Amino acid sequence: MSKQIWETRPLEIWGKAKELRANFQKAINEAAASPNSLLAHGNTGGVDWSVGFDGLNVVEDNPIGAIMASRSDSFSREARLASEIRGWGRELCGYVNNCWGCQFLGYDSPDGAPFPYRQLSVPLPDPCDQHAKRGQQCMDLSPIPRFGADWPMYLGPIDPERESALVEHKVQCILHVINEIERIFGKKYDDEKLFNVLDIVPRVQVLVTKIAQLMANVPAPLGLKELYSFYTLSVLTKIDPQEMLDFWKAFVDEVQWRVDNKIAAVATERYRWMEAHPSPWHFLRYFRYMEQYGAVCIGSQYSHMLVEPFKLNDDGTIGREEQVKVPEGQKIRTREDALRSIFREARGERFKDDEYFRKHVITDFAKAFHVDGAIMPLWRAGVGCTLTRKEQGLRLSEMGVRVLHYEGAQPGDRTDLDEHDFLDRLDIWMESQGLEKLA
Amino acid sequence: MKTFKEILENRHAYAKDWKARTGGKVLGFYDTYFPEEVAYAAGLLPLRLLASHCEDALTDRLMYGNCYCTRDIFNQFMLGRYDYVDGLVSIESCQWWYNAFDTTLIEFPELWSHYLFTTDYVDARTSKDAVFSELKIFVKRLEEWIGKTVTDEALDNAIDVYNKNRALLRQLYQLRRFDRTAVLGSEVMEIMLANQVMDKAEANVMLESLLPELEARAPQEDGVRLMLIGSETYDAKLEKLVESLGANIVTDELDNGTAYILNDVIPMKNRLMAIGLRYLGKPHSALKDNVWRRRPEHIYQLYEDFQADGVIIAKQIYCHPHGSDMYAVWKLLRERNIPYHTFERDTTLPYEETKLGVEALISMIKPGMTRLHGWSK
Ligand code: SF4
Ligand code: SF4
Repeated sequence: MSKQIWETRPLEIWGKAKELRANFQKAINEAAASPNSLLAHGNTGGVDWSVGFDGLNVVEDNPIGAIMASRSDSFSREARLASEIRGWGRELCGYVNNCWGCQFLGYDSPDGAPFPYRQLSVPLPDPCDQHAKRGQQCMDLSPIPRFGADWPMYLGPIDPERESALVEHKVQCILHVINEIERIFGKKYDDEKLFNVLDIVPRVQVLVTKIAQLMANVPAPLGLKELYSFYTLSVLTKIDPQEMLDFWKAFVDEVQWRVDNKIAAVATERYRWMEAHPSPWHFLRYFRYMEQYGAVCIGSQYSHMLVEPFKLNDDGTIGREEQVKVPEGQKIRTREDALRSIFREARGERFKDDEYFRKHVITDFAKAFHVDGAIMPLWRAGVGCTLTRKEQGLRLSEMGVRVLHYEGAQPGDRTDLDEHDFLDRLDIWMESQGLEKLA
Repeated sequence: MKTFKEILENRHAYAKDWKARTGGKVLGFYDTYFPEEVAYAAGLLPLRLLASHCEDALTDRLMYGNCYCTRDIFNQFMLGRYDYVDGLVSIESCQWWYNAFDTTLIEFPELWSHYLFTTDYVDARTSKDAVFSELKIFVKRLEEWIGKTVTDEALDNAIDVYNKNRALLRQLYQLRRFDRTAVLGSEVMEIMLANQVMDKAEANVMLESLLPELEARAPQEDGVRLMLIGSETYDAKLEKLVESLGANIVTDELDNGTAYILNDVIPMKNRLMAIGLRYLGKPHSALKDNVWRRRPEHIYQLYEDFQADGVIIAKQIYCHPHGSDMYAVWKLLRERNIPYHTFERDTTLPYEETKLGVEALISMIKPGMTRLHGWSK
C-alpha cells in the first residue's frame, strides 16, 4: 500500500512569520534595556488597546512558559523548583511556574541572561482563575503596579439587563488601566492608534475565520504546527496592526491555493482528529507519530481561538458568534466609545466561555471539521485547561466521535506526562478503530 | 436542645426538619462570597454545601483535577444525601466550585439554579455597581421562583439576623484570646460549620444561651497557640489532633472561619448595595486577593491579635487559589520569624503524617515560649 495519498509541500509564508516573531522578541529585549520603553507582564486580549502607548510592550507568561518547557526540560524544572520551594503549589499552571520561577532565579534562560523585570502587570481577563492571580508575584516582589479587569460570567441566554452593568464594569476597568499608565508613567495614550486597530481587527478576524473554514477541507491544508505557530501572531505576539493584516491576507491566499490544489499537511491523511485546549508543547512529536496512521489534527478551539466565539453556520462551516454587533455606521469619537465597541458583551468572547454556557459548541466544532476522533488531555495543574474536559469527552462520545483522554501536568510542565504510555495509548486507540500504521 | 456539634453531624436531618417545619425551600451554595442575606430574606434556608468523607466511585466520570471538597459535594448529590435541596446557586469564585455546580446540574437538571457573578477584583471602582446589578437580578429570579416579593422589611430582618449572628460568633472567637482562653479550636470550628447550615435565627438563640456558659468556664491552661490558614475545612479533625498534642488553634484565616464573620452589613437605604458592599469588603479570599493586596497583612494582624505562637497552613491538594498565594504567606511568615508548618490534605486527614508534622512544629515553638517557663509571671 502506498503511503502517499496527497501532495504536500512546505508553506511559503513561514519566512514572514519567523521574521514577525523575531521582531517581537527584539522589541522585548530592547524594552528591557531601554529607559524609554515599558515592559509589562500580561495581555490585552481581543483588540490590543496597548498599541495606544508608544514603547509599551506587553508580554504574556503563556508563550514564555511554553517555550521554556519545550526548549529545556532541565531549565524549566529548575525554574519550577525555584517557585515550589517558595510556596507555589504543584497544581499551578506550568506557564506561570516556569515564567516566574525565573524571577526567583534572577535569570530567564539556561545561558544566564538576566530576568527581564516587568514594570507593570496587566493580566489578561479570562475565565481561568489562574489569570486573576497572574502577575501578582511580579507585583509583590518588584514591586510594581498591577491592574485587573474582570471577566464576567453568567449562564443562560444573553440578558440585556445583566449585560449593561457588567459591560460598563469591563469598560471602566480598562479605562482605569489606561489612565493609570498615563498617570504613573507619564506616557501619552494615542487614541487614534486604538481607533486604527479597531478598524483592522475585524478584518483580521474575517481572514482568521476563513483559515479555520479552509481547515475543514480534506485534505487539511495545514498541520497543527502551522496553526499553533501562527495563531500567536496577534494575540500573544504583539505586532504592528497593518503588518498583522498583511500577514493574514497573504496567509489566507496561500492556504486557499493549497486547498484548491489539494496540497495536504499530511500526505497520508485518512483520519481527522481534534483537540480541546493546548497540547503538551514539549511533546509535539505525537502529531508526527499519528501521521504514521494517516491521522491529521485539524486543531482545537484553542488553536483557532482567533475565531472565537464559535458557531456552526447553517452551511455546516465554522463561524464567529457575535451576539451584540457594532451598530451600523457607529462613529467612534472617544476612547470610551472605542472600549465600548471592543467590550460589547459582558461574556462570551472567549472559547472558554463556551465551557460554561454554550456547551453545544464542542460538538458543533467536531461537526464543522468532520472529525473522526478527539484527543483530550487531562491536565492536573491549571484549572482552566481541564475544567469540563470530561464532560466534553462524554458529549463527543455521545455523537459518535471516538475520544482518547491522557493525563499530564500542564502543557508547559513535563512532570507527569508519561510519553511512552501516551504513545502506547495512541496505538491501542487507533487499532481499536481498525487502523494500523501505514507501511 | 441539640448542640451545634449534633446539628453539624446530622445536618441533612436538620435541613429536612427545617423544611417540614417551615414549608420553605433549601438553597444550596458553595462559597462564602454568596450573600446569604438575600436568600434568607426570600424565606429560603441558605445552606452551605459541606464536604464529608464518603467513598467516591462516581465523580471521575465528569470531573478531573478537582480538589476533594468539590468532588465530595457532587458525590453527595449523586449518593442522594442532598436530595432535599431545591436549588443551587454558584457565585463567581474558585472555578472548581463552578465545576461542582455545573456537574451537579448535568445530573440533576430539575434543580432551580442561578450563577451569581461577583467581581474577582473586589476593589475596582465599578465592582459595587456590577455586584448591585447582579443582586437585583438575583432577587428578581428568586421572586419568580418562590412566587412572592422580597420586601425591604424582609431584607432588613435578614441583615439584622446575619449581623447578629456574626457578632455572636465574633464573641465566640474572643473566648480564645490570650488573656482568657476558654474554648478549644475544635469546639469553635464545629460551631462555625453548624452555623453555616442552620437557620441563623435559630443559631442565634442557641448562641445566646451557649456563650454565657462558655464565658463562665475556667480558663484553659496556657499552651502552644496556633493559627490555621489555608483552604476551607469541613470538620474539626485537625483541631482535635492539635489539641491531642497539647496545643490549641486559637484563630484562623479561613473562608469559613474568620472571613465569614469579621465584617457586617452596614445598613443603608439601598439594602442590596449595602449587602453587596459587605461581601466585597470582607477579608479577601486567596483568589480575590489580587490587585489590592490585603491578605498577608490581614493574616499578620489576626496572628498578633490572638497572640499565636505559630501557624499551620493546611491546603487542599489541587487548591489552586491557595497554591498561587502561598508564596506570599510564606514570605510574610519568614520575614517576621513566625514558625509555620505547611501540609496538604486530601479526602481524609492523613493522621500519622499530620501528627508528626504538627508535633515537630510544636517542639520547635515550645523552647522559645518563655511564658511557659514562668518568666512572665
Ligand atoms: S487556561 Fe490553562 S494555560 Fe491558561 S492560565 Fe489557565 S491553566 Fe494556564
Ligand atoms: S478554593 Fe480550594 S478548596 Fe475551595 S473549592 Fe477552590 S480549590 Fe477547592
